[in-house]
Amino acid sequence: MSADSQQDFALAFLSILFEGAPFILLGTLASGFIDIYLPPGTMDRLLPKNRNLAVLAAGLLGAVFPVCECAVVPVIRRLVKKGLPVSCAITYMLAAPIVNPITALSTWKAFQGQGAAMMTCSRLLLGFLIAVAVGLIVSRLPLAMVLKEKLVRSLDEPEKNHAHDDCGHDHEHGECCGHHSSHDHAPLPQDDRLVAAFRSAMKDFIDVGVYFAIGVSITALFNTGIAPGAVWLDGLAGSLVGAPAALMVLAFILSLCSTSDAFIAATLDKFSWGAKLAFLTFGPMMDVKLIFLYQTVMRKNFIIALALGLFLAIGGISVFWQHLVLQVR
Amino acid sequence: MNPKLRRILFSLAVLVWSGALLYFHATGRINKYLAPDFRPIAFVGGLGLAVLGFFNLLTAGQDAACGHDHRGDDGHDHETSDVHPLAALLLMVLPVVLSVAWTKDEYSAAALARKGLYDSPADMNTSFLASAMPPLTREMIEQSHRKTADDYYEFNLMELFFATGDREMQAAIDGLKVETEGRWIEEKTRNPQGTRKRLYRLFMTCCAADSRAIPIVLEFGKTPPELPENGWVKVAGTMRFPLEEGVLQPLLVADRALAAEPPFEESFLRK
Repeated sequence: MSADSQQDFALAFLSILFEGAPFILLGTLASGFIDIYLPPGTMDRLLPKNRNLAVLAAGLLGAVFPVCECAVVPVIRRLVKKGLPVSCAITYMLAAPIVNPITALSTWKAFQGQGAAMMTCSRLLLGFLIAVAVGLIVSRLPLAMVLKEKLVRSLDEPEKNHAHDDCGHDHEHGECCGHHSSHDHAPLPQDDRLVAAFRSAMKDFIDVGVYFAIGVSITALFNTGIAPGAVWLDGLAGSLVGAPAALMVLAFILSLCSTSDAFIAATLDKFSWGAKLAFLTFGPMMDVKLIFLYQTVMRKNFIIALALGLFLAIGGISVFWQHLVLQVR
Repeated sequence: MNPKLRRILFSLAVLVWSGALLYFHATGRINKYLAPDFRPIAFVGGLGLAVLGFFNLLTAGQDAACGHDHRGDDGHDHETSDVHPLAALLLMVLPVVLSVAWTKDEYSAAALARKGLYDSPADMNTSFLASAMPPLTREMIEQSHRKTADDYYEFNLMELFFATGDREMQAAIDGLKVETEGRWIEEKTRNPQGTRKRLYRLFMTCCAADSRAIPIVLEFGKTPPELPENGWVKVAGTMRFPLEEGVLQPLLVADRALAAEPPFEESFLRK
């Protein structure tokens, strides 16, 4: 890399990093404290009994329990084992990284001067609608088509779980009922929990920070024209269909966190906002790292179908939505 | 890996990010990277990362139960990262350290060209920037723009640039004697006699990565004076908007050009 390229890369890299790092911290602190302090039965209790209403409500749970896409997969895995309907869990998994106050705030901040309100509202609405649609479809599928065989088997073994009559939630058997709950287990020292919460937050920060650093590096290379494909990518920017498709592929590869991806999208100034909307909606639902995380819960065939469905639906709606907004303006 | 060592490595990675944020803030260099409303957020973020890093570093050896049942195959873990701790440390710290070492707090000419330095106003997708400009008439110019001792109206470069795309502003400014400031750089297009230079400033929306160059052309009618390339200058002359090869250009027919101190905010900002 020439001295000029080093200088350009450094300026672009540091500026995006400085802009996004505080929002990653905010997201991972929230996620870490929820991880430690939130009893797992809380979500079950908040959802309506009606299957469709429960899916709709699950799409909004991220507003109350904001977690990014990295943190949400272990959470839903645990919740599914604890009896949360799979359709609700998948709706929450897809919606929570987008439909949450931290992502809304970071999107709004990142798009200042570029139609921030429109982009933020469009992102939240599209993320919610897509997640609910997937949840409603999943609610009509047999579990064996969606979940890994091992997980389905564990759900089919009622003797492994039991319900306490007086507390209303399930426990795994073991030497003790060690997980958190609202009844008369011996309380843990607050110091321990605080340390555990900070450790969980730091672990989330590292998980997200690694991908963010890689994503920012690649973005800085494209942003300053150092990357060999920068001109090719710019060439797609004017294409109605090619632009959102290219940015969704980029989102898939970059594997950015939803709390900070808006800062990357906002710098892609050659692309239309419809393409950026596709980037911001597809990325938190499907990317390289999520593929690996999803495989701990879902079947491969289902993941492939989900990826293709999300790509087509988000791309199509983004193009249509941009066209509609331009017509109205 | 030993959990204590892993916590120490993670804490160090967090502290390096915190150190970079706080260092650039403390030295004032953050102004070159972020728009004003992001600077306090970055400072608080730097402090927050310091708290997170130091807290975990100081408690790295402490046993702490989270209160959950971790038995069974439920993938539930609060500390084990997806990435090996040493790889995580390397991936997070290396680009930051290299960037801090490499940065000169400004773009090279090649990157500036990519950011619109040689684009004509008509080619730039800058409707959101243009919307930030207030309407301008002769009366408003006289009320809102100071005059220099030698009778030039003081204009900012952005007004002159965007007047190219606004007929009312163009009519108000065309033929006016103005003084403006910006960075002095070579004119690469439509300059066969070598009598032209280009003057630009960056417009930053949120951060340096999204900044765009806002340029005008300087015409001297003779060899331009020798001034430091990419240095700050003040140029006075008469503003024109000629159509050259089918492109409307913001062109300042320069009477004088002098080296100047950089302004406090070197980039134009959204507000």
